[in-house]
Amino acid sequence: MLTVGLTHFLILSAILFAIGLFGVITQRNVIKVIMCLEIMLNAVNIALIAFSQSVAPVSLTGQIFAIFVMVVAAAEVAVGIAIIFSIYRNHESIDMEKFNILKW
Amino acid sequence: MPMQVPWLIFLLPFLSFLMIGLVLRPFLPRYPRLAGYVTIGAVGISCALSFWVLGAVISSPGHMLPVDDIRWAVVGNLEMHIGVMVDSLTAVMVVVVTFISLMVQIYSQGYMKGDPGYMRYYAFMSLFTACMLGLVLANNILFMFVFWEGVGLGSYLLIGFWFHKPSAANAAKKAFIVTRFGDLGFLAAILILFATTGTFDTGEIYKLVAAGTLTGTTLTWVAIGIFAGACGKSAQFPLHVWLPDAMEGPTPVSALIHAATMVAAGVFLVARFYPIFSHSPEAMLVVAVIGAFTAIFAASIGFVMNDIKRVLAYSTISQLGYMMLGLGVGGVAIGIFHLFNHAFFKALLFLGAGSVNHSSGTFDMRLMGGLRKSMPWTYITFVIGSLSLAGIWPLAGFWSKDEILMNAFSNNPTLFVLALITVFMTAFYMFRAVFMTFHGEYKGGAPSEHGDHDEHPQGPHESPAVMVVPLVILAVMAVCSGWINVTGFFNGLFEGDVEGAVHKIGFLEGFFGTLTHPLPLASLLIALAGIFLAFAIYIKKWISAEKITNAVRPLYTLLSHKYYMDDLYENVIVKTFLYNGLFKLFAMFDTSVVDGTVNGTASAASSAGSALKKLQNGQTQVYAFTIALGVVAIAVVVYLFG
Amino acid sequence: MIMEHIQFIAPEISLLCFALLIVLLDLFITQKRVLPVLSVIGAIVAATFIIVIWNTPPVGLFDKMISIDPFGLFFKLLILAATVLVILASHNYVLKFNKFQGEYYALLMLSAVGLMLLVSAINLITIYVALELSSISLYALVSFLKDKKSSEAGLKYLILGGVASAILLYGMAFIFGLTGNTCLTCIAEYVRGMPFKDLQEVPALMIGLVLIIAGFGFKIASVPFQMWVPDVYEGAPTTITAYLSVASKAAGFGVIARVLMTVFGLPVWLHNDWAMIIAVLAAITMTVGNLVAIVQTNIKRLFGYSSIAQAGYMMVGLAAMGLTMGTKENVTGGLIFFLLSYTLTNLGAFIAIIAISNKINSDEIEDYNGMIKRSPLLALGLTICLISLAGLPPTAGLIAKIYIFSGAVNMGLAWLVVIAVINSVISAYYYFKIAKAMWLGTPVTEEKVDASWPEWLALAACVVGVLALGVVPGLFMNLTTAAVRIFGI
Repeated sequence: MLTVGLTHFLILSAILFAIGLFGVITQRNVIKVIMCLEIMLNAVNIALIAFSQSVAPVSLTGQIFAIFVMVVAAAEVAVGIAIIFSIYRNHESIDMEKFNILKW
Repeated sequence: MPMQVPWLIFLLPFLSFLMIGLVLRPFLPRYPRLAGYVTIGAVGISCALSFWVLGAVISSPGHMLPVDDIRWAVVGNLEMHIGVMVDSLTAVMVVVVTFISLMVQIYSQGYMKGDPGYMRYYAFMSLFTACMLGLVLANNILFMFVFWEGVGLGSYLLIGFWFHKPSAANAAKKAFIVTRFGDLGFLAAILILFATTGTFDTGEIYKLVAAGTLTGTTLTWVAIGIFAGACGKSAQFPLHVWLPDAMEGPTPVSALIHAATMVAAGVFLVARFYPIFSHSPEAMLVVAVIGAFTAIFAASIGFVMNDIKRVLAYSTISQLGYMMLGLGVGGVAIGIFHLFNHAFFKALLFLGAGSVNHSSGTFDMRLMGGLRKSMPWTYITFVIGSLSLAGIWPLAGFWSKDEILMNAFSNNPTLFVLALITVFMTAFYMFRAVFMTFHGEYKGGAPSEHGDHDEHPQGPHESPAVMVVPLVILAVMAVCSGWINVTGFFNGLFEGDVEGAVHKIGFLEGFFGTLTHPLPLASLLIALAGIFLAFAIYIKKWISAEKITNAVRPLYTLLSHKYYMDDLYENVIVKTFLYNGLFKLFAMFDTSVVDGTVNGTASAASSAGSALKKLQNGQTQVYAFTIALGVVAIAVVVYLFG
Repeated sequence: MIMEHIQFIAPEISLLCFALLIVLLDLFITQKRVLPVLSVIGAIVAATFIIVIWNTPPVGLFDKMISIDPFGLFFKLLILAATVLVILASHNYVLKFNKFQGEYYALLMLSAVGLMLLVSAINLITIYVALELSSISLYALVSFLKDKKSSEAGLKYLILGGVASAILLYGMAFIFGLTGNTCLTCIAEYVRGMPFKDLQEVPALMIGLVLIIAGFGFKIASVPFQMWVPDVYEGAPTTITAYLSVASKAAGFGVIARVLMTVFGLPVWLHNDWAMIIAVLAAITMTVGNLVAIVQTNIKRLFGYSSIAQAGYMMVGLAAMGLTMGTKENVTGGLIFFLLSYTLTNLGAFIAIIAISNKINSDEIEDYNGMIKRSPLLALGLTICLISLAGLPPTAGLIAKIYIFSGAVNMGLAWLVVIAVINSVISAYYYFKIAKAMWLGTPVTEEKVDASWPEWLALAACVVGVLALGVVPGLFMNLTTAAVRIFGI
């Protein structure tokens, strides 16, 4: 019978991380890019909690770490959205490919 | 004496340079005179401190002051030390340099008045003085070399001070290039020294030489290398050709750099490394022979020059030869004593020539004449300087020249004869200059080389007080500076024992007693004969100068072409050999290989930059992709090699 | 136990309180000039607290979350100094965002709090939180001008910073998963106790190491994580560019040095591994930075690439530091000294640039032509800083380079030093390009350029520091060696 163990969680986490990274690289909509960032962070959260479950089940360090990550991510998104507002006002667009005045 | 004093001697002129260059020139360009005051103030304090150091050295046992190195920084395992060396040689040199520099700076206030480059002039002068002092004070041959090049740079900048004159620009270039030949030798000597001893420290080198670690051919080659450097700076044959041309610079520059200090740096260098020379008889012989030969060779050219500064320039070369001869046959004290006296009277003569030029607007003696009436102070001081240079008792030049002759007599009779002939020639050409310039009728002069013409009253006139006062002070020194060794005080200072030396003979006894010895008396009579000959030809016209000239036409031509040395360098060596041979080869190599490489590197760098910057295309997601790729790449490399 | 440890984080707490106070006061007062005064006072109060606790023996606080040691305290002072200088330099610049001055100063101070916690954090969780505290404040600050360039820079910084912290976190998760601990010293003990064979079989440690280097590599602008730097530097308000280029970078080096030295310091093969990664990255980083800097025409962008190149030199010091672990050699303070020198130098240069750009409203190098005639002092100050950046005497830059390079040679990194020296020569070209424009170029207009007194004060402080470090480096050497001594074994 298949037991769901650490390895499976880690593989899930790795897949999620890759999906997030892929999204960050390929999505043209800024909002989606930020969402993909969140996916990456959540992939890390899964890894943290899975590790915590298997190597330090008593101390809950991993879970605590994950909560910190979520809080920080929320703050980051808030600032991110504010910046998107600002850039939308300037460009009338939230297409990533349009934001390339700064280059070379 | 506090340890900081020797440091301050060097730092003050340097700070003055920084202050003029970084503060006064950019921010206060309307007040050029400030630059003069800053320089004079800095050099003046340095001069006072130098006398303090000299006093401390005289009263300390062994005439050597221990000054701790400053541990500048410990960088990792690397300890960086900087330090000064204060012994009798240093003390005498700093006094000479700061004193002459002070006189020249004061004099320049008058001479350079109204020149558009006034601030630049004082900035360079400060820089030069600082480098010269650094050279004298350094206790490390590497730092000495840095300052050695520094004085070379100062000289280059000041010779070419009026760079809009092509002759000045060329002279500056010539001086720079010719002295570089000598510096190659110096650099080689430093490298050999470091390779064999592993140290740059002068004190350490002394110890190793004394202990016999450094001997034989290596020692001789090091000595020859150092002497090659000295030859370049001190304009010894065959590297003397730059000095007469260097007279294109402002006259106070010639007085400071090309008479009293920088050209003496070569003599100083030999004296500083005297332990190396004294352990190698071959090297000593080379020094003495080159010195004696240069002395008579340059003096003979001085016979026929019509430009007063060039007469003085050849005289300087000749006297530097004398100093080298003194070092070669006598010792540090003998050579440096002549350097000490020479600095005063030669600076005086140059400043006098400058004063004459200030009035007549020319350096050509054929256009002068009769100036003694209109310029009494200049005349008197110039005559004193000339008498001192000719070696007339009891003026300064007599004492040091006498010692050199005496030592040459007991060591090497051939060189002694050469030196004695030089005495005659020196006296003759100096008084030829005096009589042509100051006696007879005024012959018109020419427009001035410098400054504002409007303020000058027309016709010959005495220079302003700011120029005359330094002349008078220097004249006093030109009379008295030699008396310091009448009792053997100066020699004692260098041999490490003043007390023992001075009690041997009383001052008056030495002062007058010297005339009872045959050798000093002979040299005095020979000098007087030289003066008399000049008097006979140029004042009384008993003998016609033209007749002599015609009688020895080939000789005259040879002399007035400076033995064709310049032509030899210009036509044979430079044009034929260097330009058409070596330089063409270099040029080919340069254009095809070096230029190709340099341009190639430069354009490769900037095209690599242009290519790399294209990666930075402004697309955030490309950057994110790069980050991801980077992580993967590092992971792969670590997996493969880790 | 918590209360008695409070005094040790008094600097951060006081700075935080002042930041909040400024936000509140901003609502009520109309005389906005009070705000910078208050923020400078806040920084000075924090610095005073640091000096008070300077001599306490190293101690871990709050169950090994934060450590108080000379290393961290040194960086805290450096960060505070940079903050004060940036606040002074903002005196005229803040007029560009008149309505939000309070937020500007408060965010600047919050970011300083984050950086200060970052350099003293000794737990993965605190490291992450402190890093984000400073980063999120900086995201906002970078887009503070709210124009096209500034908001684009902010967005780029946010997204790439987010990716970098996700990577960093992922690395931390692996380290945590391997050891079951988040405190650095506990992890280090575990790693040291592990048999070599296990470490080879379980790649978690190496994966964690690579990901952590990548995550911090973003912060310190190491190739290939450096691409945000020029864009963000160009778009951000110049004062924030200055802050980013020194404080954020210094803290980045502080934390990466601490993590690598404590967690991955021993056994020997482990630090050899990461030191070699850092060394290779250093060589690429400085070369890329210098080559691209040559072709820049915008001074802020040029300084972006220059700061990448400088990061390369610092990584040489970091690699050398790693190699000294476990040997008889003393840990070299080269990196710390370089950071000190670089902070003063780069800030000095930026302060001059800020003052000049306030007046001429341009960051193009050609507009600096003949600046010596328009403002001799600013041009002189900028030139001295450029000389120091190029690593020439008599400035801090030379000593810093000698220090860092001689340490690297001792540790057998001669090849890297050769590359670094060649790079220094290349860099002199573009630094002198600016100096040449200022001294020899013909000015477009004769109009004078002046600065306000706080700007002069800040510039003078930097220039004096640069020269003092260059002339009497001995005074500061002890400080820097004391700071790194905690890593000695």
